[in-house]
Amino acid sequence: MKQYLRLILLFAIIVSCDKKEEPIVITPQDLHYSIHKVTEVMIHDIFSPPVASRIFAYPNIAAYEIIALNNEEYKSLVGQVTDLMPIPKPGQDKSINYQMAALIAHMEISKRLIFSEDKIEAHRDSLYANWQDKNLTMFNNSMEYGLEVAKHIGDWLDKDNYKQTRTMPKFTINTDDTSRWQPTPPAYMDGIEPHWSKIRPFVIDSANQFVPAPPPVFSMELGSDFYKEVKEVYDISNEITSKGDNSEEIAIAKFWDCNPYVSVTRGHLMFATKKITPGAHWIGITKIACEKTNSDFDQTVFAYTKTSMAIADAFISCWDEKYRSNLIRPETVINQYIDENWQPVLQTPPFPEYTSGHSVVSGAAATALTSIFGDNFSFDDDTEIPYGLPIRSFTSFNQAADEAAISRMYGGIHYRAAVEIGVGQGRNLGKFIVDKLDMKGEKALTSK
Amino acid sequence: MSKVTLYILCAVLLYGCGSKEGEIFRNPSPSETGIDFRNTITETDDLNILDYLYFYNGGGVATGDINGDGLPDIFLSGNQVKNRLYLNEGNLKFRDISETAGISGNSTWNTGAIMGDINGDGLLDIYVCSVVGINGFNGQNELYINNGDNTFTESAAEFGLDFDTYSSSAALLDFDLDGDLDMYLLNHAVHTQQSYGKAELREKRNAQSGDRLLRNDGRIFVDVSEEAGIYGGANGYGLGIAVADFNQDGYPDIYVGNDFHEDDYYYINNGNGTFSEQLRKYFGHTTKFSMGNDVADINHDGWPDLISLDMLPEDEKVLKSSEGDDLTQTQILRVDRFGYHYQYSRNMLFVNQQNTPYAETAIQSGIAATDWSWSALFGDYDQDGEQDIFISNGIPKRPNDLDFIKFASDEQIKNKLSNTKLVDQQALNMMPSGVTHNYIFKGGEDVKYKDMSGIWTVKDTLISGATAMADLDNDGDLDLIINTLNSPTALYINKTDAKANYIKLRFNYTAKNKFGIGTKVFAYLNGNLQYKELYTVRGFQASSEPMVHFGFGKQDKIDSLKIVWPNRTYQVLKEVAVNQSLIISPENTKPFNYNLLRPLSQKIFNKVEGNLGINFTHEEDNYLDINRQKLIPYQISDRGPALATGDLNGDGKKDLFFGGSKYIPSRIFLQGDTTYVEKRIANIATDSIKEDVTAIIADLNNDSKKDLFIGSGGADFYNEMAPLTDSYYLQDETGFEASEFPEFFENAAVVRECDFDNDGDLDLFVGNNAITNDFGNIPNSYLLRNDRGKFSIVENKELQKAGMVTDAVWSDFDNDGTLDLIVVGEWMSPKFYKNNKGQLTEQVLLDNSYNGLWECIIPFDIDKDGDLDYLLGNWGNNTKFKASHDYPMKMIYSDFDQNGSTETIVATEKNGDYYPLEGLDELSAQMVGLRKKFTTYKAFAGKPITEILDQKALKSSTVLEVNTLQSGYLENNGGKYSFVPFKEELQVAPIRAFLEYDFDKDGSTEILAAGNYFGIKPYHGRLDSFSGALIKNENDVILGNKIGLELQFKSVRHLNMIDLNGRPYLLVTYNNDQAQVYDLGE
Repeated sequence: MKQYLRLILLFAIIVSCDKKEEPIVITPQDLHYSIHKVTEVMIHDIFSPPVASRIFAYPNIAAYEIIALNNEEYKSLVGQVTDLMPIPKPGQDKSINYQMAALIAHMEISKRLIFSEDKIEAHRDSLYANWQDKNLTMFNNSMEYGLEVAKHIGDWLDKDNYKQTRTMPKFTINTDDTSRWQPTPPAYMDGIEPHWSKIRPFVIDSANQFVPAPPPVFSMELGSDFYKEVKEVYDISNEITSKGDNSEEIAIAKFWDCNPYVSVTRGHLMFATKKITPGAHWIGITKIACEKTNSDFDQTVFAYTKTSMAIADAFISCWDEKYRSNLIRPETVINQYIDENWQPVLQTPPFPEYTSGHSVVSGAAATALTSIFGDNFSFDDDTEIPYGLPIRSFTSFNQAADEAAISRMYGGIHYRAAVEIGVGQGRNLGKFIVDKLDMKGEKALTSK
Repeated sequence: MSKVTLYILCAVLLYGCGSKEGEIFRNPSPSETGIDFRNTITETDDLNILDYLYFYNGGGVATGDINGDGLPDIFLSGNQVKNRLYLNEGNLKFRDISETAGISGNSTWNTGAIMGDINGDGLLDIYVCSVVGINGFNGQNELYINNGDNTFTESAAEFGLDFDTYSSSAALLDFDLDGDLDMYLLNHAVHTQQSYGKAELREKRNAQSGDRLLRNDGRIFVDVSEEAGIYGGANGYGLGIAVADFNQDGYPDIYVGNDFHEDDYYYINNGNGTFSEQLRKYFGHTTKFSMGNDVADINHDGWPDLISLDMLPEDEKVLKSSEGDDLTQTQILRVDRFGYHYQYSRNMLFVNQQNTPYAETAIQSGIAATDWSWSALFGDYDQDGEQDIFISNGIPKRPNDLDFIKFASDEQIKNKLSNTKLVDQQALNMMPSGVTHNYIFKGGEDVKYKDMSGIWTVKDTLISGATAMADLDNDGDLDLIINTLNSPTALYINKTDAKANYIKLRFNYTAKNKFGIGTKVFAYLNGNLQYKELYTVRGFQASSEPMVHFGFGKQDKIDSLKIVWPNRTYQVLKEVAVNQSLIISPENTKPFNYNLLRPLSQKIFNKVEGNLGINFTHEEDNYLDINRQKLIPYQISDRGPALATGDLNGDGKKDLFFGGSKYIPSRIFLQGDTTYVEKRIANIATDSIKEDVTAIIADLNNDSKKDLFIGSGGADFYNEMAPLTDSYYLQDETGFEASEFPEFFENAAVVRECDFDNDGDLDLFVGNNAITNDFGNIPNSYLLRNDRGKFSIVENKELQKAGMVTDAVWSDFDNDGTLDLIVVGEWMSPKFYKNNKGQLTEQVLLDNSYNGLWECIIPFDIDKDGDLDYLLGNWGNNTKFKASHDYPMKMIYSDFDQNGSTETIVATEKNGDYYPLEGLDELSAQMVGLRKKFTTYKAFAGKPITEILDQKALKSSTVLEVNTLQSGYLENNGGKYSFVPFKEELQVAPIRAFLEYDFDKDGSTEILAAGNYFGIKPYHGRLDSFSGALIKNENDVILGNKIGLELQFKSVRHLNMIDLNGRPYLLVTYNNDQAQVYDLGE
C-alpha cells in the first residue's frame, strides 16, 4: 500500500503542472455498482450465506461511520453495535470528500473480506484514475482518510472471532442418530459453519437472544407432528412437480433459491451453478428501494448498513439454532422412509434444517427495510435476472419475506415449522434491531 | 540422474538420432505398418461429454491370427468411425481388409472388441460391443463369425448375442467346464450420480446396464445371470473385467471393476454353474474409479495377482488441482449408511494370499499413481523373468479439475446447456488437457516396480485407451497395439529380440476351445516358478493374442513346463529349450490334483469359538480428532483400548482388564475353571468418562494384592480437564479404591513398571503421546517413584520431553544387571536411558538418528548372535508418507494464522522439493489467508511448501521429522545399535504390537507381530493388509495368514498370551472390533 501511495505521489508531482480541481460527485450509483462488484466476486469465490452476510455488513458500517461524521442527519453506531470504537477524525486542514472517503473505505473493507482481490482492484483503480484526473488533492486527502477508517474498522472486524472459528471442529456426523442432520446429495458436503453462533453479533446481545421454539420432535410414527410435516413436504413437492415447471410454486421456489453453490453433475462432468445468497438478494432489494425513492448517497449508505446488519445478525441467530437442533433434512428422511428416489425441487443446502435461514433472514431484512421505506412499499424485484430468473413483483417487503419463507417448502428443503417459526424469529430479531438502533430520525422515507 | 544423462549422451553419440540406450520399444509410423486406423470422435450438439459420461473412453482392439498364417492380425473398433481389420503380412506390414471382410459395423457407438472362437470351429471370431439406447445410439453388439477366407458373417442374433445394452466389453471363459466358451458381458451404468443410492441397488436387475453371464448351450448363448448369482443393477459402472482361477480350484473366477461409488465384484466360481460375490471377504479396500485391470502371478507363487487401475495423478500440478478422494465423513456416510465398501482413488495391486485376503501393495510397489489410466497389461517385456506392467492413459479434458468444478460459471456452461446443449467451447477450454505419457514399470523382487517410462519407451502425448498384446513380428517378444483417441493407432514394437531368452506357447486344445482358453502353465527353472493362465480379454476393452509368453533372461533351458488343461488334466514337458514357439496339444494327460496347489498346512493358530467367554468388543466413540485438528497426519483419538492381564481376585489365575472408550465403561473378565466370566467392579466401571489407552495389573503397594493402573487418552479432553488424568486403583480387603496419583493432564500411550531404584517396589514409567488440540507440541512423559504405594514424579527433564511417546521397555541394554529404559514414539528416534543406580541418563547408542513413527518395541535376539536386539514397529512402506535420511518427511508446527491455535502441515519430498500432503481446500479451511494468496487451484498446484507459507511463518515454526518409515530392528553390535529394516512383506502396514512366545513349540521363542491402522483420511486409504507375522529370526518370517491368523482388515492393538486350565491361548485385542482368542493346538 505504501508503494502505491508513493506512486500516486510521484504521479502527483508529474501532473502538478496540470492541476485540475473539478468537483467530484459521488453518486448512489457508484455505491450500488461497488456492491454489485463485491457480490460478483463473492459468487465467484463461493462464500456461504453466513460468511457472505458478514462481507456485506462491515464495508457498509465503515462507509456509514464516515457519512455520520459529516451529515448530522445520521448518528454514529458507536455505542450501538458491539465493540465499535469511534473512527478517527480527518485532519482539520484537509479538504475531504466524505462520500468519496466512504466509498473508498467500503471498497477497501470489501477487498479485505473476499478472496479474489484482483477483481475488486480493477474496479477500484478505474475509479481512482478518474478521481485523480478530476481533483488530485481532494482524491489524495479522501483516500488517505478512507483508508485510515478502513484500518480502524479492519481492526474491529478482526476481533469478531471469525479467524478463531476457522479452526474449530467440524460438525461430526453420527449415522446412528436417526434424527440428526447428515450430509445430503449430491456433493455430501460437511455441514458448513457449525460455529457461526460464536461470531460477534452487531446489534443483538448474543446469538441465542432469539431462540425459536424447538421443532416437532423427530418421529416417523404415522400421525406424529414431525411425520406430518415430512409428509406435507413430500406431498407438496409431488403436487407441484406434477403441475410442471411452469407452476407458480416452482417459480417461487426457484426465484428464492439463492444457493451460492449448486453442484451439478452432467455425465462425467461436474460443475457448479452459482447464485447470490439470501443476504445478497435482500441487499439487491435494498438497492431497488433506494433507487425507487431516489435516495441520495448518504441515505443509500444508511439503508444498506441497517439492512445488512439485520441480515448478518439474523444469520448468527439462525445458525445458533441450526446447530442446536441439528435437524435432519427432508431429503434424507423422505429417501429413507418414504421414497428413495425423491429429490427436492431445489438442491438441499449443506447445513441442518431448523430454522430456515432464508426465512429468518427475510423476516429480519423486511423488518429493517420497512422501518426505512415504510410498509406497503411495492416494488419489482429484478435481482435474479442475471441468474436467468424473471422479475417478481411485491406489494411490500413483508409480502416478499413471506414468499421467500414458503418458497423453501415448495423447494422441498424445509418443513413448515422451520419456515413459519423462522420468519417469526427473523421478524422478532428485526424488530429488536429497529427498536434499538438510533441511526436517523427514523422517519420513514415515504413521508418525504 | 547424471548417470542416466551420461548414458543418453553416449547413446546419442553411438547411434546418432537412432534408438536410445535401454529403449525396449519403438513406435513405427502408420505409413511403415499400414495401420492407419484413427478413432476420431466428433462432438456434436447432441453428443459430447455432457450427454454421455463415457464419451472419452475410446474404442477397442483385438488381436489374433484370423487366417492361420501364424501371424496375429489386428481388429480395431471405432466409437463413431467404422471398424477396421488389418491382416498381418509379416515384417510388420499390414493390409487393410475391412472392405472385403465385412466387419465395418452398423452400430452408432462401438466400444470394446474381442477375438475368440465363439462357434467352436477353430477359427477366431470377432465380437464388438456397443452402447445402444441412449443418446440416439442405435445398433447392437455384433458377432462376426470367421468364414475362414478372410471374410466374416455378422451372426449375433443367431447366437443370442445381439444385445442392445450399454456394453463396454465382454470376456470369454468356460465357467461351467463343459468344454465350450461362455461369455461375461460387461455393461456400464448411466445411473444418475445425484445421490449414491443404496448398495442394494445392485440386486435389482437392470436390462441396459446390468452385467450378464451367458452360458454357451451350443450355438446359442443363454442368459443365466440371475441363477448364477451375477449382479445386474443400475449402479454397475462396469469398465474392467478379469478372468482367472483366483482361488486355484480349477474353476475360473471373475473380477469386475466398477467405476464411481459402486463396489467392484469378486465372483468366486462355486463349481456348480453359480458364483458367489465375495469382495468383502478378500479385499479390504478397492479402487474407487475402477478402470481396466489385469492378472498375472507377479511373485512366483503360482497364484494369480491382480492390478486394478484408477486415476491418481503423479504430477503435483495435476494432483493438487484435481478432485480426489472423499472427505472423511463422506466416506463414513457412504460406507455406514449406503453400504458401499472402502474405495480409494489410486491404482491397487492385490497380491494373492492363497485363499486368504489379498495384500494390497500398490504404494509399496511403486505403481499407485499413473494418472487417468485405462489399460494395464502384465508382461515380461524385457524377458528377465519378472512380470512388468504397461499402463495406457490420458483423457482429452479433465472433468475433475477443481477450478472447473468450482469456478466455471453459469454464463459459460448453463446457458449453453439449456439453449444449444453443446458445451461451450470456452467452458470446455477451462478444463485442462489430461494428456499424460503411458507408463511402463519393470518388475523386480519383492513385488517392487521401477518406472521405466521414457527409458524403455518414448514418452508419448497420446490419449491411449484399449491396449492389446501380441508378438506381431513373431520374434518372440511382446508387442503392443493401442487404440488411441483422435490419432493413429499406436504400435509398440519390442526390440528385446535375442537379448534375453523366452518361450512362447500356443495351444491346440479341443474342437470347441481350440486356443485353450483357461489353460495354465507352470514353468520351473532352477526352483523358480513362473505361472500363467491363458485368458485373452485383459486390460480394457480389448483382447490379446491367445498365447502364453515367459522370459528367462540368460537361462537357456527350462527344467519343466507343466500344462494344466481346462478339463483338469495335465501334462509335463521336461528340459524345454528356450527361444522357441511351441504349439502344445493335450498328450498323455493325467488328472490334475488341485489339492496339490493348496499350501501345506502350517497352521499354528485356531480361532476359538466363543472366545473362552471373553466377550469383549471394543467400541470406538464417535469423536474424531481430525474433525477438530483438521490437518494432523493421523488420529490420536483411536489408540485404545487398554488391556492388562493379572490376578485381580487373588485366586492365582490371571484375569483381564479391557479399557473403554470415552463414556464406554471398561470391562473385567475373571478366569474361572472352564471359562472367563465377566465381573463388574463398580468403582472401576463407573469411571467411564475416561478413554483407557494403557493399563497394568500389578501389586503397587506391596500388600500382595494386585492393583490397577490405567493411563487415559483419547485426545478429546484438553487443557487441565480431569478425564485426562490417569487412574490408580489400590486393592484392599473390600475391593478397589481409587487412590491418589500425581496429576498430569496428558494423553497416555504406555505404562511400564519396573523397580528402577531397586528399593523393592514397582515404579512406573508413563509415556504420553500428544497434546490435545496442539498436535506437534511435545507432551510430558513421567518416571514415577513408588514409596509404599504413593507415587511421586522423578525430576528428569530429558526423559520428560522424550517425545511423542508410544511405547517403552525396561531392558538391561548395557548388561550391568540393572534394567534400563528404552522409549520409542512418533516423530522421534528410539531413546536409550541408562539406569545408573536409579538415575536415568540418555545415552547415544544408535549409529544414526532413526526418526520414525515408531509404535512398539520388544527385545529379541533376532540374529541369534547371543545379544539382545530390539524389534521396532513402524508404519511401513505402503503409505502415502515418504521419508528417507536424505529427504525426511517434515511436520511443520506453528500457529500459522496466529489465531491462538496451532496447526501442523506435513510435507514430503518430490523431485527435490517439499509439498504439503493436504490440498488447498484443507489448508485454507484452517488458514483463510491462503485463499487470498491462491485464488485458483491451478495457482496453488505444484507449489512447494516454501512458496505456500511465507518465509516468516516457516522460520518461526518448529519442524519435526521422520526419516525412517520401515519396521525393523536395532541390531546390537557390542552395545551399539544400527537399524536393519524388515523384509518388504512386513512393510505392508503399520506394526503396532509384538509378543514373544514359543508359538511353534520348537523350543525357542519367536516374535509375533501384528498391526494395521485406519485412523487416516481417505487420501491415505486404509492400511489393512498385514495378516501378522511370526518372526523366528531375521530371515525366517511366516505371514499370519499361513499359520491360521485372520488379522487383515482389523487394527490390532495388543497381543497377549492368556491361559485357561493351564492351557495357553493367544488373545488378540483390536481397536473398534471384537477381541479374538486363538488356540495354539496340542
